[in-house]
Amino acid sequence: MKHAQSANREELFHRKAERKMAAESAQLLAALRNREDYRSEFDAFLELLSDTSDAAAARRSGRPVLKLLCVQAPLELIHAAGFHPFRVFGGSLAAAALAAGNLPALTCPLLRAVLGELRLKASPAAGWILPTTCDWVVKFPEMLRLSGVEDSPQIEWLELPRLKSRPDSRERWLTEIWRLKEFLEKLAGRKIGRKTLLESIGRYARAAAARQKLREARIEGRLSPLWFMLVMSAFFLDEAGGWAARVERLLPALTRRRENSGGRIFLAGSPIVFPNFKLPLLLEEAGLTAVADDLCSSERLFPGTLTTGDGSVFGLVSALAGSYHQGCLCPVFADNERRINNILNQRREAAFQGVVLGVLKGCHPYDLESYSLEEPLKAQGLKFIRLETDYTQEDRQNLLTRLEAYRETIRNAE
Amino acid sequence: MKLKIGVDLGSTAIKTVIAQEGEVLWRGRTNTAPGQEEHALRLIGSGLRALGFAMDAVAGIAVTGYGKKLFADASVRVDEIGANAAGLFRLSGGAARTIINIGGQDLKVLRLDENGRVADFRMNDKCAAGTGRFFELAARLLDTPLGGFGTLSRRACQDLELNSTCVVFAESEMVSLLSRGTPREEIIAALHRSVARRAARLLWRDAPGPVWLDGGPARNAGLVEALEDQLMTEIRVLEEPQHTVAYGATLALAE
Repeated sequence: MKHAQSANREELFHRKAERKMAAESAQLLAALRNREDYRSEFDAFLELLSDTSDAAAARRSGRPVLKLLCVQAPLELIHAAGFHPFRVFGGSLAAAALAAGNLPALTCPLLRAVLGELRLKASPAAGWILPTTCDWVVKFPEMLRLSGVEDSPQIEWLELPRLKSRPDSRERWLTEIWRLKEFLEKLAGRKIGRKTLLESIGRYARAAAARQKLREARIEGRLSPLWFMLVMSAFFLDEAGGWAARVERLLPALTRRRENSGGRIFLAGSPIVFPNFKLPLLLEEAGLTAVADDLCSSERLFPGTLTTGDGSVFGLVSALAGSYHQGCLCPVFADNERRINNILNQRREAAFQGVVLGVLKGCHPYDLESYSLEEPLKAQGLKFIRLETDYTQEDRQNLLTRLEAYRETIRNAE
Repeated sequence: MKLKIGVDLGSTAIKTVIAQEGEVLWRGRTNTAPGQEEHALRLIGSGLRALGFAMDAVAGIAVTGYGKKLFADASVRVDEIGANAAGLFRLSGGAARTIINIGGQDLKVLRLDENGRVADFRMNDKCAAGTGRFFELAARLLDTPLGGFGTLSRRACQDLELNSTCVVFAESEMVSLLSRGTPREEIIAALHRSVARRAARLLWRDAPGPVWLDGGPARNAGLVEALEDQLMTEIRVLEEPQHTVAYGATLALAE
């Protein structure tokens, strides 16, 4: 048999990865449709997740897309400038495999998958807004070049001050956000006025209110953790108001269901990105219910409703900057004690008995922070388990064994 | 009093215990192979025959281990970490508080409360370093039966190091040492130290001693010595350390 030429081979690799990626998503979506707690109202989100490309998000939102990796760029500002903020997906094992060449062996699986997906379906016209969060994100433009996605990506950097409590950090961040506003205005060819900004803030406030209702439904057992995560995963595939409207239509259909008897837990750690739902599925299989989380791919996808007494453009931008910086619980910050407080506060509301912390191999900030979370949380009587994994399925049994034993430690403590 | 049967469907071996009133009457073991339930039932059959009982004398079968879902007729399925804790606690006369279990493809450390329940545990990730599989690989490579590892390692006098984080790297190192003419006993002693380091990394610094070691590799006296040296505490091993998990499963069956 004649060997394919290299250009041809590249094409074949792409087609194979595309097929596998489609199969990964289709398999999860089909499994969700076959669940006992499936409701036709979920179709509004399943339909969104049938195409997770930035092109699809642009089409649905009716706006040009600006791509994001992290959660610190104020979405309201981007929307007010006429763009659709789109956090790229990175949950496909096949996509991660496609990006494998030219990258360090322990590259964060999420970014690896992002690179793979972008190789297949990125719109080069859409630029990036990247806060300097972890080392992987800082090196992302190099990774884009090395993995053959984009040679000269358009990136608007936001230099993220890592010490939230210092007053000069807040000022530096505000300067960064003000610079972002100017960048967006130049890109859009128009100023961001007070009225447009207020309208945009209102849109995201509606989304935050919808998310709050979803949170309550999960705590009360009307929405399973898996569906909660799925609904949140679809957030960037429609504009914020459209997503909120879909949630508002879903909420009346949610009725009380039988909860897993194994124990209520809080899910923390590295983001869990569609369609890589390995960990939430294993939690369910082990009989554990994740009634709350602090994942930046789920509950912490965007901040809560903005509150400010100053309705001027400066006042609104300052409030947005504070909300996306001071309120952020990402482990890249040096002073992040609020993360523990957040878990303990949520415990009062959601009554969970333990914390499951998932770390993606190569995700160093979450990995490091897991050790400093363990002791204080245990001291508060919470059972704690740290699970390190990647996107492959080969460690499922190992993880399940641990989760089953962890469930027993929760039962024993009752 | 009826019999209670515990089956541990592990990754490398199926272990079975038949007990009555908490006392072990019979133990059996066979290698894991496709058709695990059939192999386990055959093992149970030979145990009952050896004891002179029939199936109607059995109160129930408790199943644990990686393959526990493959055994359709289980009276109860038990998580293997809980079964390990319960079994060793009872067999140690309630003395065990810290356990290291080396299974076919995992390494676990357990901390028990005063009632023998799991208070905390840790487990290796998916690499086979520090597990029973690591020993099997070494036995093949060194062409030495596992039963001889303990005696051979006592003859070692060097202080060689082997990789303790990756079984593939450790295998390459062993091949390289063999090709340089390094005596087998030195490689085996290095292997024991490597596994002991791996276990020590998992164990809590404040884990109460003595530490109880179980799982198949616990029968290896060389490994026990390496662990004592690494952990600076006494290591205790029961007579049949491979069957504690299966025995622990029987304790989950109602009277």
